[in-house]
Amino acid sequence: MHPADPVAQTDPAARPTGATPPAGRSRAGRPPAALLVPAAVAAVFALLPLGYLAIRSLEHGPAFAWGVIADERTAQLLGRSLGLAAVVVAACLVLGVSLAWLTVRTALPGARAWSVLVTLPLAVPSYVAGFAWLSAFPALAGFAGAAVALTLVSFPYVYLPVTAALRGTDPAQEEVSRSLGHGPLKTFLRVTLPQLRPAAAGGAVLVALYVFSDFGAVSLMRYDTFTRGIYTSYRASFDRTPAAALSVVLVVMTIALVAAEARSRGRAGHARTGTGTARPAIPLALGRWRLPALAWCAVVTGTAVLTPLATCGYWLAVGNSATWEPDTLADTAATTLGVAAAGAALTTLLALPVAVIAARHRGRTATLLEHSAYAGHALPGITVALSLVFFAVRYAEPIYQELPLLVCAYAVLFLPVAVAGTRAAVLQSPPVLEDVARSLGRSPLKVLREVTVPLAAPGVAAGAALTFVVCMKELPATLLLRPTGMDTLATRLWTETGTGSFAAAAPYAAALILLAAVPSYLLGRHRT
Amino acid sequence: MPRPLARRSTALLAAALLLPAIAGCGVDEDDAGLVIYSGRNEKLVKPLLDELEKAVGTTVAVRYGESAELAAQIQEEGAKTNAGLFFSQDAGALGALSTKGLLQKLPQQSLDKVDPAFRGSAGDWVGTSGRVRVLAYHPGQVAKAPDTVHDLVEPEWKGKIGYVPTNASFQAFVTGMRVLEGDDATRAWLKGLKANEPKVYDNNLKVLDAVDEGEVSLGLINHYYWYERVAEEGEDKVKAKIHFLPGGDPGALVNAAGVGIVKGSDQAPAAQKAVDFLLSEKAQKYFAEDTKEYPLAAGVTSTVKDLPPLASLDAPTIDLGKLQSLQETLKMLQDAGMV
Amino acid sequence: MTDLHVTGLSKAYGPGAPVLDGLDLTVPQGALAAVLGPSGCGKTTLLRIIAGFLRSDAGTLTIGGRTISGPGVHLPPEQRRIGIVPQEGALFPHLSVARNVAFGLPGADRSTRQRRTEEMLELVGLSGYGDRMPHELSGGQQQRVALARALAPEPALVLLDEPFNALDSALRTGVRADVRAALQATGATALLVTHDQQEALSTADLVAVVRGGRVVQCDTPHEVYRRPADPWVAAFVGDAVLVAGTADHNNVETALGRIPLTAPTGELRQGVVVLRPEQLHLVDPDAAEAGGTVTDVRFYGHDAMVTVAVDGIDEAIAVRVPGQAAARPGERMGIEVTGEATLHAAAM
Repeated sequence: MHPADPVAQTDPAARPTGATPPAGRSRAGRPPAALLVPAAVAAVFALLPLGYLAIRSLEHGPAFAWGVIADERTAQLLGRSLGLAAVVVAACLVLGVSLAWLTVRTALPGARAWSVLVTLPLAVPSYVAGFAWLSAFPALAGFAGAAVALTLVSFPYVYLPVTAALRGTDPAQEEVSRSLGHGPLKTFLRVTLPQLRPAAAGGAVLVALYVFSDFGAVSLMRYDTFTRGIYTSYRASFDRTPAAALSVVLVVMTIALVAAEARSRGRAGHARTGTGTARPAIPLALGRWRLPALAWCAVVTGTAVLTPLATCGYWLAVGNSATWEPDTLADTAATTLGVAAAGAALTTLLALPVAVIAARHRGRTATLLEHSAYAGHALPGITVALSLVFFAVRYAEPIYQELPLLVCAYAVLFLPVAVAGTRAAVLQSPPVLEDVARSLGRSPLKVLREVTVPLAAPGVAAGAALTFVVCMKELPATLLLRPTGMDTLATRLWTETGTGSFAAAAPYAAALILLAAVPSYLLGRHRT
Repeated sequence: MPRPLARRSTALLAAALLLPAIAGCGVDEDDAGLVIYSGRNEKLVKPLLDELEKAVGTTVAVRYGESAELAAQIQEEGAKTNAGLFFSQDAGALGALSTKGLLQKLPQQSLDKVDPAFRGSAGDWVGTSGRVRVLAYHPGQVAKAPDTVHDLVEPEWKGKIGYVPTNASFQAFVTGMRVLEGDDATRAWLKGLKANEPKVYDNNLKVLDAVDEGEVSLGLINHYYWYERVAEEGEDKVKAKIHFLPGGDPGALVNAAGVGIVKGSDQAPAAQKAVDFLLSEKAQKYFAEDTKEYPLAAGVTSTVKDLPPLASLDAPTIDLGKLQSLQETLKMLQDAGMV
Repeated sequence: MTDLHVTGLSKAYGPGAPVLDGLDLTVPQGALAAVLGPSGCGKTTLLRIIAGFLRSDAGTLTIGGRTISGPGVHLPPEQRRIGIVPQEGALFPHLSVARNVAFGLPGADRSTRQRRTEEMLELVGLSGYGDRMPHELSGGQQQRVALARALAPEPALVLLDEPFNALDSALRTGVRADVRAALQATGATALLVTHDQQEALSTADLVAVVRGGRVVQCDTPHEVYRRPADPWVAAFVGDAVLVAGTADHNNVETALGRIPLTAPTGELRQGVVVLRPEQLHLVDPDAAEAGGTVTDVRFYGHDAMVTVAVDGIDEAIAVRVPGQAAARPGERMGIEVTGEATLHAAAM
């Protein structure tokens, strides 16, 4: 016992956990009712399609459903879907993370304009992308074509949350790494990238689920996937039971994927630790990498945005069905903006409590809620739409084929899109700020409104923008659930291309892509 | 820095919730005397359905969608359906609803207006217009078009055929072939066709373009694509010609678009009027002249120049309601590596 | 009345040793009490329970006679009127300094809020900084804003969670003094959680030493230092010299000679004697009863610590000498003891 070193004394009660109990544990307790109730509502909402599937798939008895699931072809389709998803996810991670880093952290010329352009591909419906690529390169038909088309419409799912995460990370950590002798690349790989993992993984899951659920691109590219099998069941046999049984497999696969992602997320804390409040980062000079960086941005956005736009131009130029109806276009665009905004708003509101619980109250409840939100996300739009038809005609007839139901359908379809962005953003703000707000007299709900949400605002807004854009281009559920006579840009596009009137379709496709720039632009304007 | 953003997003959220209230949309179907679920494209039938509204004498609301999806939707809605009338692009979807007992029996006088080949065997749906599978050919490359699809597996057509394996009409034709000639013969034919390396297109119009430009010599399409093209551009500008396959060849399948009255709605009287209108001379003329299809009722014959009368076609005889059994067809196409 | 009473507070995370084990603590109104303990002793858990972020397993908390936590009672944090100043301040990065300070002010009218905010900023010496954003302030300034924010709603109690940890030592003394002054000016009752004994002794009116989830001693800084409850506390709150001794009425016999006791020891005869290094003085070897050989000299500027291997004691002892030490290693020195000592049971 050396008297000069009292702290080194052995203390029977001393615990190796450090001065502060880990934030995760101290907060792991039951989430407050103010969060739990709305989160449970959101989860129940998202689980509706599963309830429907349970009823439908067992319609002809479990033996029939098992027969469909155990079919050799089912496994084969599953393998094809998984393979496609793996390739698309890998490609999206490379595109999304590299572009996010370039636009947020470097002195890329025109970074703000790029950050808007890069998100536009999201608005390209996969069937338009598929069509554009197939027209330009017929040889792409098959796996390669499906992978290219899907990658180029879904990489913003990775780009947006990673961008938000990059804005939230403390540049001081990168400075520390640089001072420890690591170059910019090594710093990026060892310090920045690990912190982006929750955001990137969340985006990757969305991409994978998008690939699982996509029908447009794979059907044009003639690449047989699981979802195509489900559509075939509806379209070819007019039988909902095999489609439902196949959908159940998709749900199981989704839950496995989400659970794997959650496990990989681990317990790591990502809130900034260090003195005081983070300073905004100083952009990294690109030096001789300036031109290659610019070229990379140009190539990606060019191929992802210009190919479909050029296809629209080509349709206009060669088609003879061109009917220029600016009034109809404007009306349709206004309606589309309205329903998509309502869809995004409801989805974001429902996603918030789920995301906050997932970020702040880790435990069984959080896992259950989050998995519920994701469970139906890989289902094709037609299955989700039919499930809402099923429930609405039985229990909510007054809103059946009315606007509120369509908006609810968007929420069911896209809840995970909003949850992913919001959770990652909430994770990045230090929990102690919420404690302080509580101690200053704020109720949990007020803390959410005044501290958690404003701090997570870039991520929440990015999630809302994503949701808005995917709502705009949603087709199968919109067709079944829209108020009779209502048209969105996507349904007009479907109508016009349905008769091969591509020139008449072009303005709607172009409007869809260009309108997607609105939320991206609004988000971009507030970046400093 | 993020302060204005927070305020902005709140404002955006509020705006988002208000906007749809402003953006007026659609017809309130509660006020509609008749709701039609139409699997036929708005572009094709809207003028006709506007006329239908006048004839029926009540407000008519139309929901457009894919025939198969609308059929699934009607099944889910069951007795609580909003639909009074289902207007389908093809007979298969109507056959599916008929099998489930979701369609109401039509009065004999309505059924009798149409040849038994183009109405449901249970008497609960009726064809409104027909379309024929034809061979489009490039006259510069093809002296005489083949008279049967069976010839398409011959080596002389290697790499010279264009088709759309994903197209519903093509798949209906294959189903028809299975009904007529059996699964083994169909499988063998598909294998032979595939071995002939046909060129795949996205849609019938592209096939027609390809034939027109001589990219391929033969194309498997529906007849009206050619007639529409001729009507739009003039016959002298369209190089491609079409050939109607004779002798009950499966390649000459006639498929029908049709209607059925959906059970469970209180719109039956209006729906019945609508059925009668669609089988009336006015509507049948519309199909003949505007969509270049075959009229099926009211003694209307097509006025389209050079379109051979339906009766002269010698089309194969099959129960169109059976075309709902596409599942096996798709499996065959998948096994053949076509879709 | 805003005195804090903590009675029988217990908390365990899962099975195993509890983090808090029947902890009792009383802080009178207006006092600044330091909760001092090593890492993992449960002091942060105590703070989080008092603030209301955690629920205790057992025990009662009252402030000014109002029970805020106890059997069947758990007031949520926002209703406790307890301000906290976390480590590193934790200012809301999206709000200006003024809005941070005004955050906890009730929905009073704008001018009242503004006045209070300015008052608070003036109190912590940051008038005119209201429009700055947190990232534009230094660490010390952020900490003072955090204090202003906590004090603005006139809380019944202020909790300070190692608030000076992240500051460099030059800054620390100044901020500490400012915080103390601000707390005194508002008359707030405060609880400072720290593992730094110097900080506790110099800042607080009361020091509660926590070990194994209990308060082992709670007294004025002077008493805790001079009359530690046991040798562990003695060593924890400062450098201690421990030698074996035998009590004899009001004195104790040790290898360093006969030393007066601070208090009678009752039954206890044999035990460990606790002395502070500054009670020992190096003298000429012949002028003292006890003596030994210098083994090490460490210079600290204002004083120096000399380690001496004393005859008859196994362990070397530390002697604090003012200024530059007049001893070199290897040299023989006599040792003289002044002041009083405490005697404790030897079992440790």
